[in-house]
Amino acid sequence: MGSHFVHLILFSAIVAAFFGALLRRRASEQARLGATIWVAMVGGTLALAYLMYPFPN
Amino acid sequence: MTDESPADGRGAAPRSWPVGLTAVAVLSGWLFPGLGHIVLGRVRRGIFFAVLVLGSFALGMAHEGRLALRDERGAPILSALQVVANAGVGLPDLAARVGVYGEVAYALPGDPREAAYGERLRILRDRTKSIASIYGTAYLWTAGLMNLLLLFDLWDIGRGRKC
Repeated sequence: MGSHFVHLILFSAIVAAFFGALLRRRASEQARLGATIWVAMVGGTLALAYLMYPFPN
Repeated sequence: MTDESPADGRGAAPRSWPVGLTAVAVLSGWLFPGLGHIVLGRVRRGIFFAVLVLGSFALGMAHEGRLALRDERGAPILSALQVVANAGVGLPDLAARVGVYGEVAYALPGDPREAAYGERLRILRDRTKSIASIYGTAYLWTAGLMNLLLLFDLWDIGRGRKC
């Protein structure tokens, strides 16, 4: 469990599931919002990492 | 995920509960994640949130996350906010502190000459020495903050603003 990526996946899943369940009532809406949040968190992090790649320091 | 059954209120108008019961639910929800929703009859929702919050808390403890102590000599406001984020989980945080510090400790003593000051600081520093500790801290504080958000959800359910 020392990998940044594993923690990114896991942490995003917990937060996405939480807000999906908190902010929507129907299961299908909860799943859709949860998936959107998860993709935004993981995708956003990877995009930011890619942008920072040329500037290691 | 937590789609409510008819018995849980699906399709019904929002129902309000007495203020006293709502307050009991909020207190229960703070003391033990998910319990407040169960008190208000939202059993599946309560179990789902309990799994998420306690799962995040367990990951935090497994990665030696920071159980913050208020430090009035260093950064009093910031360290107090960290303690609030930790304490949001309620009793599990208290039990974890007893396990880690050997007592219910939420602050460093004001006088650094006190024996407890050095001892608590040593335990805190030893615990956060591991590289994984930063992940653990994120999980711990997220668990606490999620549970604090759930208290607002409980209040809305209890006062009939939400099904």
